[in-house]
Amino acid sequence: MPLWANPRVGLVVLLVLLVALFSTIRPAFLDTRLTLTPLQSDISVYLVIGLAQMSVLSLGHMNMAVGRMAATSAFAMGLVHHTLGAGLLVSLFTGLVVGAGLGALAGLIISRTGVNSFVVTLAMDFALVGLITILYTGVVDGVAFPTMPAGMEALRFDTFADYCAGEICGPRIPLVAPFALAAALLTGLLFRWSRVGREILMTGSSPRAAELSGIPTRGRVVQAHALSGLLAALAGFLLAANNGAFSAGIGDGFLLPSFLAPVLGGTLLAGGAVSVLGTVLGATLTQVIYKGLNLLQFQLDRLQLYIGLVLLAALSLDRARHVLAGRREAAP
Amino acid sequence: MLVAENLVKTFPGVRALDGATLTLQPGTVHALLGENGAGKSTLVKLLTGVYRPDGGRITLDGGELHLGGPLDAQRAGIGVVHQERNLIPAFSVAENIVLHHLPGRAGWLDRARMRAEARRCLDLLEVDLDPDTPVARLSVAQGQLVEIAKALSLDNKVLLLDEPTASLTGDEADRLYTVVRRLRDSGHAVVLVSHKLEEVFAVADTVTVLRDGRSVAEAEPLAGFTQGQIVDLMVGRAFASIELAERTVGEQAPPALRLDGVSTALGHRDVSLAVRPGEILGLYGLVGAGRSELAKAVLGLERITAGTVEVHGEPARIRNVGEALRRHRIGYVTEDRKDEGLFLEQPVTRNIAVTVWRRLARAGLVPDRRERALAETYVERLGIRVSSPRQLAGQLSGGNQQKVSLAKWLAADCDILIVDEPTVGIDVRTKAAFHELIAGLAAQGLALLLISSDLPEVVVLADRIAVMSDLRVVGELDNDHDYPRMSQQIIRLVHAETHVEGRVSAA
Amino acid sequence: MTLSATDRVTRRGRHLWRTPEFTLGVIVATGFLALAFATGGNLLSAGTLEAFFRFLAVPIVIGLSQMVVLAVGQMNLSVGALTGFCAMAAAWLMIEAGFPAPVAVPAALLLGLVAGLINGALVVLTRINGFIVTLATMTIIQGLRYGVNGPDTYQGYSEGLRAFGRASILGLPAVFLVAIAVAVAVALFFSRTVTGRQLLASGGSPFAARLSGISNDRSVIIAHGLSGLLAGVAAVITVSASGSVNATIGDDLLLPSFAAPIIGGVALTGGMVSVAGTVLAAFLVRLVDVMQAQFGINPRWVDLIIGAVVLGAVLLGTIRQRVRERST
Repeated sequence: MPLWANPRVGLVVLLVLLVALFSTIRPAFLDTRLTLTPLQSDISVYLVIGLAQMSVLSLGHMNMAVGRMAATSAFAMGLVHHTLGAGLLVSLFTGLVVGAGLGALAGLIISRTGVNSFVVTLAMDFALVGLITILYTGVVDGVAFPTMPAGMEALRFDTFADYCAGEICGPRIPLVAPFALAAALLTGLLFRWSRVGREILMTGSSPRAAELSGIPTRGRVVQAHALSGLLAALAGFLLAANNGAFSAGIGDGFLLPSFLAPVLGGTLLAGGAVSVLGTVLGATLTQVIYKGLNLLQFQLDRLQLYIGLVLLAALSLDRARHVLAGRREAAP
Repeated sequence: MLVAENLVKTFPGVRALDGATLTLQPGTVHALLGENGAGKSTLVKLLTGVYRPDGGRITLDGGELHLGGPLDAQRAGIGVVHQERNLIPAFSVAENIVLHHLPGRAGWLDRARMRAEARRCLDLLEVDLDPDTPVARLSVAQGQLVEIAKALSLDNKVLLLDEPTASLTGDEADRLYTVVRRLRDSGHAVVLVSHKLEEVFAVADTVTVLRDGRSVAEAEPLAGFTQGQIVDLMVGRAFASIELAERTVGEQAPPALRLDGVSTALGHRDVSLAVRPGEILGLYGLVGAGRSELAKAVLGLERITAGTVEVHGEPARIRNVGEALRRHRIGYVTEDRKDEGLFLEQPVTRNIAVTVWRRLARAGLVPDRRERALAETYVERLGIRVSSPRQLAGQLSGGNQQKVSLAKWLAADCDILIVDEPTVGIDVRTKAAFHELIAGLAAQGLALLLISSDLPEVVVLADRIAVMSDLRVVGELDNDHDYPRMSQQIIRLVHAETHVEGRVSAA
Repeated sequence: MTLSATDRVTRRGRHLWRTPEFTLGVIVATGFLALAFATGGNLLSAGTLEAFFRFLAVPIVIGLSQMVVLAVGQMNLSVGALTGFCAMAAAWLMIEAGFPAPVAVPAALLLGLVAGLINGALVVLTRINGFIVTLATMTIIQGLRYGVNGPDTYQGYSEGLRAFGRASILGLPAVFLVAIAVAVAVALFFSRTVTGRQLLASGGSPFAARLSGISNDRSVIIAHGLSGLLAGVAAVITVSASGSVNATIGDDLLLPSFAAPIIGGVALTGGMVSVAGTVLAAFLVRLVDVMQAQFGINPRWVDLIIGAVVLGAVLLGTIRQRVRERST
């Protein structure tokens, strides 16, 4: 395939153009403390939630409950800290286990019953949305835990510039960024090189052929959904760190961006192929647009309008590129 | 009069039709015969506007026809019953019959007119069916009749029937042919595509035989031929031209795979088979005899209700393909390579390595280098033509796809291989290469179960031939590779069974 | 109410008791009676009963709006946002532009129809998955919806329209009767019109439909257009029944729009609809809602219960199908 037919290249070009545009109109866009550092924190959250959706798109499935899985996991993190006084790592670990468990449950129902993943996760979303509020009301009589494990404050406010070894200080990168980066690298490793990841992709490519090639397809479905739940939990944790509280509202706005990032990055809903790099670019692009338009003091309505238009335009272009590339290949 | 002249149709890598000619007279039943892959279905699809020809022309009563889509063919008065069912199950019989021209009054469905029109078409066939019954409730045979009624609803003068009796019992087929004769007598031209020569001889007047995409007999009166002559025309190739590897069957060794009195939830009854290492057991039968389903039952994909399966003398309870592969080293090359055998959107490397990632992986990760080396080995060994091992499987020609589909089982080092219709839709040269390959595998000591409805293929390759009909093995023959004699015996076995017992539906 | 292709069978009553709609009907009736008893007849008092049905109108129409796209195997994520946008547009026409209600109402319907047609055209032209296309248009429409009046509320528009929203005929709210009329119309469309049948044919087996000369593209566009139109109807009902509208209208409609048809037994794969099922499912959800209000339960239990019901309904459907397959 020629270079121009690679959707990732288009995203990079668009990204560069937008950054140039925003920083010309508003030089403040390049202000590290005001813009770039918070931008990186936001990208971290939405990258991870995009990866969570991507994990099941690999199968040709959807996870409509990403937001609520994140919220439930965040509740679990808050709970173990609140009642047992658990520290940061134990809390995080508990949350990740809960998220993975919820995802595995969805995957189990889907693979056992053969019911469409959209329906199963939609029902799960309904159930969890109710459960979360009930849980918060029951445990803390409010919508958020009053305290957070030690270290969450640092995750919220600190950048690596605050940590110096002698004279040399780190760059102004927020502490949450490495979490997202690690998640992206590990997910990429999984789908690119590991046997399990490849078998998930083959299952997404053709469930029947996968079964007849000796792949345990049911297990792979459960694993992909568990991964989705795990990543959703991580996104919930990062958002809680950014917001400064484990609250019931975590995950409310996750659904749309979870699709935006991978789909912009070239991951299809059909299954069988994923692009982690594309998801990184997709998440970055949407957050840059949000941040830029915000700086230009666009109203919320314009913001959404443009995000929608960009999505449509990017997808249509991608489609056109695909058709053109197909013609080029067929021509000689 | 419908005439197709010198039609050419090419698909990536295959010349499906290469100058096929067909002449149709009104008031005749015209048989269109040929082996699997000879181009019959392609010709039918060209005549009904599903595909467009790359060369040649189609004329109707002297005027040239340009068929841009199924609707054009319908307007020209050409009706078709495709091999696949094309009814909408939730709709009623009447609605399905008139689906191309649902009668309306100001947008509202005119049910009375719809029913009357459906009645008229059903009456043409002298079929007694309630037009209000949902199609989902009909038997396969009734569905077939509804399809014919649908094809007649437009007052078509030409009717193409593609394998209309493939899933019908003997009685049902007889009734269908009564209808076909009646249509002929009322001036329709009927094209009948069928594998079942006896039926063809019973009902058809004229015949066109296709071989390798060309017409080798054109609109000749069928009365001038014997069944044997037709088969010779269809097959037409010299058997001696294939050099098969010498091999010895391990007579003393226990069977690599043995089925003893196996019955399945699908209705197979008391099936017993055995294949020894180095041996090719042919499993011959017509479409719908339950051969692939039997293979899938062995792999644990269908439920076995009675009997035992033994692998190398040990009883085996196989629950899925992974177990068959890893514990018993059984591979299954499916007949449906597009849906079951290949990952069309994935590169050739992954299609070949999918069964052996477990072996290639280091600490759970599969190095690309090892995967590529493995793929290249098999690309070379099987002569798979690819631009690069990263090429997508969907872009290969049928023959190369089939080789990829086989390669993954060879890579997995199977010692029992079930090969299901390995050469369907593959051109003759590749076919010969495939036959050599299969014989070569047996020579290496693999036990092969060759499922095929291609008589010459079975007679050329197999050491013994089991004949399957109606979900049962109706006989087993030692193969002496004398084609005329073997084919007569096999065909007699198949037909003896269908005529005595009728068919048990697979449901 | 008749249902797609199975209607003839159900009308004959041969297997009426076996249909999912019948099961659902029994559940709804039992639930309604149980709730009436449990509240000591309070549910049956004029005011409560009227409120019950008044707030049933929008869920019914929005469920149908989703159902018509499910019929062709598509999804429409923009239904909720579109309802809100049409409602805001109607209010704007009356308050800011000074048009009377008889102009604003058809304009809102037309807006819904056009937006739906655009959805359909985009799906057909770009060949991008309908889920993604409507996800994008949902975002755009949300922006437009907010753009009409920012965060502010419109109220005090057409007295006549609001009176219609409050009106009752024979003890049933007028808006509920509108919803029922719409449901009947949709049922007739799918069972009795040529276009409706063609839509179901496209959804059920696109290839067979194509061989029969039916344009699947046309079916997709029509289904999306109809879905938009129904979202417009839901908007008009909202405007008249609630007395004031703002940019949050429709935010909580997306998930219920899927819940009603799915509980009602409509498959996501297309090719079948169940108007009765969808209406009954909306009724069921409303029952849960009222139960919560009557007993002062945490409103969040409603979502939890609906989630369980959706999953339960789907699992029941799967089991039912398996049993049927085994018996034939």
